[in-house]
Amino acid sequence: MDQILLARLMDIGEKMLVAGAEVNRVEDTLSRMAKAYDVSRVDVFTITSSIVVTVIANDGVPMTQTRRILAYQTDLDKLSGLNELARTIAQNKPDASYIEQEMNRLEQKAKYPAWTQFVIYGGIAAVFTLFFGGTAQDALASGLLGMVLKWLVRLFQGLENNAVIIHVVCPFLVGLLAVGMIRWGLGENLEWILIGNIMLLIPGVSLTNSIRDIISGDTMAGLLRMSEAILISLSIAIGFGLASLVLGGIIL
Amino acid sequence: MMQWFWAFLGSLGFSLLYNVRGKNVFLAALSGMLGWMVYSFASPRFSNEFLSYFLAAMVVTLSAEAFARWQKAPATTFLIAGIIPLVPGKALFYTMRAAVGAQRGYFLAHGALTLSIALAIAAGIMAAASLMRTLMWRMGK
Repeated sequence: MDQILLARLMDIGEKMLVAGAEVNRVEDTLSRMAKAYDVSRVDVFTITSSIVVTVIANDGVPMTQTRRILAYQTDLDKLSGLNELARTIAQNKPDASYIEQEMNRLEQKAKYPAWTQFVIYGGIAAVFTLFFGGTAQDALASGLLGMVLKWLVRLFQGLENNAVIIHVVCPFLVGLLAVGMIRWGLGENLEWILIGNIMLLIPGVSLTNSIRDIISGDTMAGLLRMSEAILISLSIAIGFGLASLVLGGIIL
Repeated sequence: MMQWFWAFLGSLGFSLLYNVRGKNVFLAALSGMLGWMVYSFASPRFSNEFLSYFLAAMVVTLSAEAFARWQKAPATTFLIAGIIPLVPGKALFYTMRAAVGAQRGYFLAHGALTLSIALAIAAGIMAAASLMRTLMWRMGK
């Protein structure tokens, strides 16, 4: 085990966390991989925004590396690939260059093209509007708004990296547009149109995962994730609240 | 019944969004639909939201674990999209609405509901996951 090899293992841990793995899984995978090589001790500490690994090699020299995670991009196909790679590493103990090569291969794996994202956003918004009881017209309006939302999210992610600001501005604009659409005669029930779009923004998975983390003993990670989820929910509320204020209390 | 179909499509959409590929997309959507079916059966019978969501989340997790073993993919692949129809988006929306409208009573009631649903889902996932782990351990012996 040397620093380069440890760095490659850290890459895997980092990519897993970014792609949507639970804290538990990342800690477990990192320590399994590191233990496969000749080491006497491995300590891994992971929270949602950081990974710290200290390895003590058999000659007694300790090594520590840290990764800071700033943004997530859920990609379950990549996660699945990383998982497989990690299992291979724990079994075969390959060298650093092999891991690097495999990682590059994973990065180049096919993704759905960018335009499908718009369709998917629109589709999800429309489906959830119907799911919660909206009419076909509501679903149409909601689907259109979902596509606009994707465009807005992309636009603002390019300009501004702050999740709070994005989650205030986008619901604000979506709220205004939804009212405009109904005025214009497209869609009937504001509530269902908005809920369909909210399903796209709401950190429901983080909220549920945070409680999972807490129950399974990763209290720190769970609390961090939960405060992130609450912060985002509040931002969405503020965004719609602002739209409501501007329009004189029509929305909420 | 229509709602089952929307739950299926909703989970399908999210699995595409999270870059699940191939047959797994349909399996994830199937998990989502199964979960919602269990909820819609349980909710009127037990008139207990916590229990209904708990059971639904357990079924989603068990099916996700089963698909994971069958397809040799991590259970998360099916779980994240499958759990989506259960996620308390509506309750959270009402909570936010009450917060913005400064209606304290509604805010507390909806907020408590949102949290209890989130807790029920988390508990269901945990219960099913540990059940699965125990079973696998037994079988492995």
